[in-house]
Amino acid sequence: MEFTHLVHLSWFNTAYSLRLFGPELAVVAGILGLLFVRLFNIERFFPAALVAALGAIAALGLSTHQFVRYDQYDAYKIAERTREEAKAAKAVLPVGAGRAATEAQRQLEYRAEMQSLQTRGGYFTQLLVFDHFTVFFRVFLLMFLLCVIYLTVISGIPDREDAPDFYVLLLGATLGMMIMASANHLLMVFMGIEMTSVPSYAMVGFLKGRRKSSEAALKYVVYGGGAAGVMLYGISLLAGLLGTAHLPEMVQSLAEFSRLHTDVGHDQAIRTLVLAVVMITVGLAFKLSIFPFHFWCPDAFEGASAEVGAFLSVASKAAAFAVLVRLCLAMVLTSQLVSVDAKSAEEMVSLMRLPDILRQVYMYVGIGLGVLAALSATYGNLTAYTQKNIKRLLAYSTIAHAGYMLMAVSAMMVILNGPGELNANRIHQASESVGALLYYLLAYLFMNLGAFAIVALVRNQTFSEQVSDFAGLGKQAPVLAVCLAICLCSLIGIPPFGGFVGKFFVFYNVAIAAHYHPVMYVLLAIGVLNTVFSLFYYMRVVKVMFLDPVPEGARVVDIAPLSDAGRYALLATIPVLLLGFFPEQITRLTQDVARQLF
Amino acid sequence: MDTVGLENFLIVGGILFVCGVVCMAIKRNAIGVLMGVELVLNGANLNFVAFSRYTKLGLDGQVLALFVIVLAAAEAAIALAIALNFYNNHLTIDVDRADELQG
Repeated sequence: MEFTHLVHLSWFNTAYSLRLFGPELAVVAGILGLLFVRLFNIERFFPAALVAALGAIAALGLSTHQFVRYDQYDAYKIAERTREEAKAAKAVLPVGAGRAATEAQRQLEYRAEMQSLQTRGGYFTQLLVFDHFTVFFRVFLLMFLLCVIYLTVISGIPDREDAPDFYVLLLGATLGMMIMASANHLLMVFMGIEMTSVPSYAMVGFLKGRRKSSEAALKYVVYGGGAAGVMLYGISLLAGLLGTAHLPEMVQSLAEFSRLHTDVGHDQAIRTLVLAVVMITVGLAFKLSIFPFHFWCPDAFEGASAEVGAFLSVASKAAAFAVLVRLCLAMVLTSQLVSVDAKSAEEMVSLMRLPDILRQVYMYVGIGLGVLAALSATYGNLTAYTQKNIKRLLAYSTIAHAGYMLMAVSAMMVILNGPGELNANRIHQASESVGALLYYLLAYLFMNLGAFAIVALVRNQTFSEQVSDFAGLGKQAPVLAVCLAICLCSLIGIPPFGGFVGKFFVFYNVAIAAHYHPVMYVLLAIGVLNTVFSLFYYMRVVKVMFLDPVPEGARVVDIAPLSDAGRYALLATIPVLLLGFFPEQITRLTQDVARQLF
Repeated sequence: MDTVGLENFLIVGGILFVCGVVCMAIKRNAIGVLMGVELVLNGANLNFVAFSRYTKLGLDGQVLALFVIVLAAAEAAIALAIALNFYNNHLTIDVDRADELQG
């Protein structure tokens, strides 16, 4: 290849990648804007929240455009178009045309070639991947970011002096999450996780001069650093054993690995691989606050302000689930390999089929995730009973919800790798489990945001976060109380709210997975039982709000229904109702997104 | 046996990792715990570089190691700031004294 063509190719590649990376760049622009606000001291004219919101809105606009007009960004479609252009250019090219014309023609052909080389929308030299799943999570995270920025404006948690720093951290964490959701390489997985964690540590400790806040941040950073280190060591072992850190290539190397190492009992390499997978699971479980690695979660949430709690509980969990789904699929899906160098169709088929031993191992991975999910849901729900602080109660509830959502991933792994031939029907069922997870995440976004937001708004009036201090809220601020009750009922999973539909879909998919392995029936039973357990502690809060007498000398909550605070509560609660009443449209959307992943 | 092979590097990396984990587990001083984290990260880094030399992982390993060095610095900056903040509020950096949040 000539040098000029190489330059041209890399230029085109970068330009194409930057276009796909637009939303992230908009967030970065927002961060830079915030730094300028601080530098030139112009907060009086441009409040930091406004700059942050503008960055988020620009990014949301770009990613919504990517979502709606996906074809304009899809590498295959672009390649097809350029190939046609090249053909047309060739047709009109006269014999003996000038050198410039042939040059242009060749460049077009190179472009088409380059585009078709992109496997499943990988960009930035395949470090990141662009598909429906990526774009869904971008829209999801940015929408949530906007909601949180608005919440902080209303509740005024970062004071004027600290606002630019706070929003820089908030935007930076979101940027990390967006990278997590589009990671296509183990480096990007780790980078994304760290870029999310590091600002989160600082945000947890953001309440200045509070003993609890600094303690929460210290615990979070110590445990978080440890978990990240262990995960990185696992990644190093995995990448070394497989000889690749690129996710779509992992399945092929794993298949080769399982052919080379057959002696399961005695082979060192297999033990090392298992160790690597366990270490990576530890890191991810920490981010997801799954049961044995949950201990940071209640402390961090109690010490941090409720706004930060809302952000961490929804956004960082959603991004971690995106990474988990991507890693699971990278191990399983052979259709990821578009550029397999197979000579014939038969060879292709044999490459596409995973060895049986590997599928069996994956099924046990799925069941293992199910066990973690069951433990996490049960532990979260049982421990939430005795909590007196509402943020702590909600923290245990997020542990339980992480368990429910993990059930969907476990169901996906069991459906894909259970005994029997893998066929189109099973792939469809597996994609439905991912769709269920996405639906659950959407419902969880609004119901958890609503709950944390109302806690923050009430705290601003009563200066307390104890459950008992919510007494009388039903009379003093009926709109807020009803909204909180709706969010809590949705968290329990009572129809007709959004949480019910999400939970129903997840359990339905666990029931389907039970056709492939009977252990999933146990998981289903535990899930349903847990829903019943969780009824009591959520309902206790509702009872305190509406039935308990107001204690003597309690501060009065004075929030009018149409004040900013009242409207915010409605804003968060109405989608919970919509997700409950009109599940068809949104299911279609989430299922579409999930189907494109397979 | 005279040449230095992949195993030797992995053993050193493993020792660093174990030292780091032990350090995280037994140190009561927050700074000591953070030093343990650094040891773990550097153990992983050594693995990456060794794998990039001896296996087909190639330059990916070295790039990973470079990024991890930068990330470790960023994490250390935040962690030390948080430790300082904790010290300002509690007049100690003993992690065992961080016991107000419980339940």
